[in-house]
Formats: sequence, C-alpha cells, structure tokens
Amino acid sequence: MSGNELLRVEHLTKTFGKLTVLNDISTSFAAHEVVSVIGPSGGGKSTFLRCLNLLEQPSSGHILFDGVDICDKKTDINLHRQKMGMVFQQFNLFNNMNVLKNMIAAPVKILHMDPEQAKEKALGLIRRVGLEDKLESYPSQLSGGQKQRIAIVRALMMDPEVMLFDEPTSALDPEMIGEVLEVMKNLAQTGMTMIVVTHEMRFAREVSSRTIFLDGGVIAEDKPSHELFDRPQNPRLISFLQKVL
Amino acid sequence: MFFETVWKLITRYGHFFTEGLRNTLIIAVVAVVAGTFLGALMALMRMSKVTPLRWLATAYIEFFRGTPLMVQLMFIFYGLPMIGVSFPEISFIPDFPRFMAGIVAMSLNSCAYVAEVIRSGIQAVDPGQMEAARSLGFRKGEAMRIVVLPQAIRNILPALGNEFVTVIKESSVVSVIGIADLMYRTNGVKAKTYNTLECLFVAAILYFITTFFFSKLISFAERRMAHERK
Repeated sequence: MSGNELLRVEHLTKTFGKLTVLNDISTSFAAHEVVSVIGPSGGGKSTFLRCLNLLEQPSSGHILFDGVDICDKKTDINLHRQKMGMVFQQFNLFNNMNVLKNMIAAPVKILHMDPEQAKEKALGLIRRVGLEDKLESYPSQLSGGQKQRIAIVRALMMDPEVMLFDEPTSALDPEMIGEVLEVMKNLAQTGMTMIVVTHEMRFAREVSSRTIFLDGGVIAEDKPSHELFDRPQNPRLISFLQKVL
Repeated sequence: MFFETVWKLITRYGHFFTEGLRNTLIIAVVAVVAGTFLGALMALMRMSKVTPLRWLATAYIEFFRGTPLMVQLMFIFYGLPMIGVSFPEISFIPDFPRFMAGIVAMSLNSCAYVAEVIRSGIQAVDPGQMEAARSLGFRKGEAMRIVVLPQAIRNILPALGNEFVTVIKESSVVSVIGIADLMYRTNGVKAKTYNTLECLFVAAILYFITTFFFSKLISFAERRMAHERK
C-alpha cells in the first residue's frame, strides 16, 4: 500500500492531563481503502479519529496527509481539512441554515464556488441519499437518520479525499441505522477512502477491507476485516467480539 | 381624594414627569447601546486565549457586578474629578459633565452584565456546531460569524432586552447626583406639593408602563424569532 498512501500516522500520542488516551500509535491508510476502527468505549477510538484532522491536537507524533505533516505549526490545517470530510455522532448540521445552505456554505464561502453551480451539485448529491424533497427543511424538522445522511453529503460537497466517520450510527434509533449504513456502503463502492469508528460489527466485517482494534490507547490488532473477525488473535479482541457479536 | 390629587399632579406637573421620563430613557438607551458594544468586546476578551486579556476582563466583570451601582456612580461623579479626571463643559448641553457621569457609570455597569449575557449566549451554542464548521475547513472567525453567532443571537437578544428593562429601573439612582431623571423630577414635585404618596404613585406607574411596554415588545420579538426558525 506504499504507492498510494494517503494518510500516515507516526508515533501518535495524546494525553489529557495524566491520562494517556493514545499511546504511540503508528499506521497508515491507502487511497480507496475502507477501514473500520473498533474497540471498547474509552479505548481512544474517537480521539484517534479526531486527531487525524486535528480537532484534537496530538500531544506528540506526526500525521502526514498527502505527504504533508499537518501537525507542523507552519501547515495551514484549514486547507487540509477541506480535503478531509468528517461525519459526527451528533450530526452537527448547522441549526441556523436549511439543508441546502448547510450543503453549499462551505463550497461557496471557502472554495468560492458559484452558488448556482453549488446548488446543482447539492441536488445531484442529495438525490443519491433520497432526500431531494428536504432541501428547504431545517435540521430541527428532520429525523436523526435524515440528518446523518445530509451530514454525509454536506461533507461530500467539498470533494474530500478521505471521509472520517465518528460513530455515525450511535445516536440513531435502531430503525434508522440501516439507511445511514446503506449510504456509507454506497459511498465505499464509489472508491472513497473511509475511516470509520463504529460499533456496527457487520459493517466492519462486510464493508470495510481492514479493521483496527483499538484498546487501551494502542492498536491491539490490525488486519483485513475477514481475518480479524474469523481468526482473532489478541485475547482482549476475542473477549470484546464475544461480548458484541 | 387620592386619585383627585394624582390627576391634579398629572395635569399641573405632567411636563416635569415626562421630561424626567425622557431623560431616564435617554440614559437607559445610551447605557445599553454603549454597554452592548463594550460588553461584546469584554466578552471576547473574557473568552480570549490570551491569558492577561482574560484576567482583565474577568476582574472587570466581577468588580462591576460585585459593587453597588451607587458606589460606582459616586466614584465617577465625585471621585474622578478629585484626581483630575472630569468631563468637559459643553455650552449647548446644560449640565453636561453631570449627565455624562451618569451615562458613563450606567454604561460601564451595564457592560459587565452584557458581557456575561453575550458570553453565556455564545457558550450555550453546541460546541459540535463549531467543530463541524472547522472540519469543513472554515477558519475560526468565519465559523463564529456564519454558524455560531447567528445561533447565539437567539439566546442573547431576549436577555439583552431584559437588561434594558433592568437599566431603566436601576437608572433611578442617578437622581442622587442631581441628574433630572424621572426620580429626580418626582422628588422635585413632591417637595413642591407635599403629596408624597401621590407623587411616588405617578412615578411608579410611569416606570411600570415603560418597562411593561418594553417587556411585551421583547417577548413579541422573541416569538417572532422562534417562528422564523421553523
């Protein structure tokens, strides 16, 4: 995977006060790869993901995106975040804007895209998630599943090179999880690079090509998904899988 | 009998009361407008990453909220001139230094309260909104301007309206340094007529009508805003 490496993590450590959440993590992600990050709560999954676009400032270590060290103070992180879409557990649609404005705000204001052109693009994307009749709706009028599908296409409006998902289905009612996973599955099939922190073991196993088991702030196991689920080696992973499957 | 006297006071001395009320409103409006600008600045300092600025703002806010307005007023009107700081006379506005001392004291005081209103209004916006904007590549200031502030305004405006109502009432203390506000005029009419109870009754009613009117206006605006969001 060296030829098309997109994101590289070197010796990433994150501490909050005396608590070490991530302890010397190194790994890398290739373009078009779909990787799931699983593990027990408090294992550092979300912190790991949030360090990748510096929503959380790493305590030490380096993150290279397209070969550029984004932890370097001289790097303009805003430019790189434009290329890294993020989807949150709590959706975080902008409450003061309708769906259309949510989608076109960043491309119009940051990339200076023509508003009409941005609207065309938004229409194309929103059709893919079947919510074209919601363009004028405000977030407060949407269900959780609808919000999350919009949040995904809002991130796609920026044509990101990688999409980071932070437990995208954890805040959803059970009957809405399917619709969001479906969108993510379709996205994976288009070749989008995806890093997904999730509790959905079926998604990890069937959709992602590789799964990372993060436990106690370290990568305890990192393998092709089928191998990891079929022949887990690490005893903590074995007991974790027994509990969740 | 009581209401007869009240009626006599209104017909004979009405212009004293209305002139006083006018000055009260001028002071309240200027204080809240100035307090809002200064308060916004103070709130920014209070939330600043620069530690000395944050300390300065915190000290200011705590001090002005923790001491009586009366003391602040006396300090500015009597105290400052003693160390050589005073407001200049302006020929076409009678009693300008006195009036300014009142307005400045009310503004500085209001600033401290407004700063807290603005800060809590901003901090009540879900931090996820800021994070989502940053994750798309917005710079912090931009994210603040297009995502956080429009939502914070909904929290801030009603509280700011309440602050205005509070200032209308609190401004009655400026009468002690001889500013001709509603309270001062009331005392004047009282001294002239000896109708103490009736005079205070008229003043109370005028204060009440004013604050009630503005309270209703605020809740009307609040409902409109809540409606727009739908």
